[in-house]
Amino acid sequence: MNRTHTINSAHKMADLGPVRPPSFFQRIFSVWLRHVRVYTKHLISNGFPPFVEPLMFLAGIGLGLGSYVGLIDGKPYILFLASGIIVPSAMFTATYECTFGSFIRLEFDKVYDGMISASLTVKDMFIGEILFAGTKGFFFSGAVLTVVAGFGLVESGMAVFTPFIGFITGMMFAALALFVTSFVQNINHFNFFFTGLITPMFFFSGIVFPLDNLPEFARWIAAVFPLMHAVRLVRAFFFNSFDPGLFFNLAYMIIFTFLFGSMAIKRLTRRIVN
Amino acid sequence: MCMAKKFLISMRLQMKNKTSGGERMKELAIKAKNIHKTYGNLTAVNDLSFEVPRRSCFGFLGPNGAGKTTMMKMLFGKTERDHFRGGEVSVFGYDPKKSGLEIKFFTGIVSQEDNLDQELSVFQNLMIYSKFYALPAKQARHFIKNVLAFMELSDKKDFQIRQLSGGMKRRLLIARALINNPKLLILDEPTTGLDPQVRHVIWDKLRDLKKQGVTILLTTHYMEEAFQICDDLIIMNKGGKVMQGPPAFLIDKHIETYVLELYHTGGKAFNAADGVRTEFMNSRMLLYADDFEKIKQISDQFKAGDFILRQSNLEDVFLKITGRKLHE
Repeated sequence: MNRTHTINSAHKMADLGPVRPPSFFQRIFSVWLRHVRVYTKHLISNGFPPFVEPLMFLAGIGLGLGSYVGLIDGKPYILFLASGIIVPSAMFTATYECTFGSFIRLEFDKVYDGMISASLTVKDMFIGEILFAGTKGFFFSGAVLTVVAGFGLVESGMAVFTPFIGFITGMMFAALALFVTSFVQNINHFNFFFTGLITPMFFFSGIVFPLDNLPEFARWIAAVFPLMHAVRLVRAFFFNSFDPGLFFNLAYMIIFTFLFGSMAIKRLTRRIVN
Repeated sequence: MCMAKKFLISMRLQMKNKTSGGERMKELAIKAKNIHKTYGNLTAVNDLSFEVPRRSCFGFLGPNGAGKTTMMKMLFGKTERDHFRGGEVSVFGYDPKKSGLEIKFFTGIVSQEDNLDQELSVFQNLMIYSKFYALPAKQARHFIKNVLAFMELSDKKDFQIRQLSGGMKRRLLIARALINNPKLLILDEPTTGLDPQVRHVIWDKLRDLKKQGVTILLTTHYMEEAFQICDDLIIMNKGGKVMQGPPAFLIDKHIETYVLELYHTGGKAFNAADGVRTEFMNSRMLLYADDFEKIKQISDQFKAGDFILRQSNLEDVFLKITGRKLHE
């Protein structure tokens, strides 16, 4: 298909016959599978935290602090908190995966160099990685949902769809994290990203307290932060109460993922292929 | 019927070869023409051209920073050549600029650095790698068994990467590069830092692979390595080709047959006879000659231990061409 015939030589180029590398789907899947294998290799140590963290949150803050807090939107505080903490776990896991994890693969372990020596492109590698981060987001949100259900806090059957929002959230933050990683030369610089953006986002996205009472400008800032949109979508499914504004939230997440994902891939390609 | 078909094809090929002129057609695996690569002000590769016949072993020899690795990486798209300078590359008919994926599909790549997946075992490393080529699991398991046996790693199948020695890792990297049954094998300094036993094993394996029809391309600092396994060789320096030819031919053509290395000459100039070339290197003096008798006579004036009389080798050619100073 892309044969070059322009070279004139006294000798003939050897012909290998048809060369058919794996399809795009197969390539993406193989990358995804690599990450799943590595993750599930230490299933106990990797699978434990997503169940324990929400337990501490619900018991400590929900029950402890919640007894001092009145109703929020006509519901007990623990319900507000339980519905809020489903999705940030997806944010954190995807962000760790695609900052520290990706940087180690890029600079220390040289895993990417090994991978693109096989029939993969840089693009395949990072699309596969974003999908894996989404999968982790799905799993982490699902784990939190399980704990929340264990506390008897799930009211609507629609809550089973919240891990899918976790999936999109995972991909969205993977795209953002890879974009950040593409700039980072020293692994310690990720601290700025975490303390400067990720941690504040957790506190100002309507997870532990509602945004309604914040001043106007703070609410605008929260709306620019991607996490707030994920939280709104999760709450809609959790309480089975939908409004047309949710389409905007979903569109925001999808566009954000594509935008940062493609910028990240472009920049990382330049970093890997030089 | 299959046999008959094969016979017919081979007949046709023979006729084709006959009709295309007197000299037998050499099938090329790689052709590179006028390749340039610059990084800012640094010229990594400067107007390099070469042809690699299929089923041969082709070597790039040169000091650090000569551009060997960069040239290798440009063949499968890990590095992009300077497109604005023109130049053409064809790897089995594919241009890495647009068909890197195709090239990598039939090529095995062993890079200088160990880039095994530290998080997976030996077997898992190969299994995941086979997925990158979309090999079905059953076939992959069969191939893994074969490549592990070939690289003498069968008993290390369930080891973690960190449990492997440097030589085992290198062999595993080669095994991994063979999992797609490559037509072309690219190795960047395959035996750097390994002990002599492992080096000889790797050379044997590469010779085996060549016999099986694999085209091999390698970079090396080791003159002996180039001499042992390369059919054709480019000596590179500062991004360009300094000379090219089969190793024995390069020695024959570019350096005298015998070398006398003298120590402790006290720096005093030695009056050499005609037909003897002298070179100084630190406290050492090197005398080169084609005539063994002449050089033997000189060596007789020294006591044993103060000199070495030997045949010249590729290293002498290399040092003569690229100079004796450090390049870094």
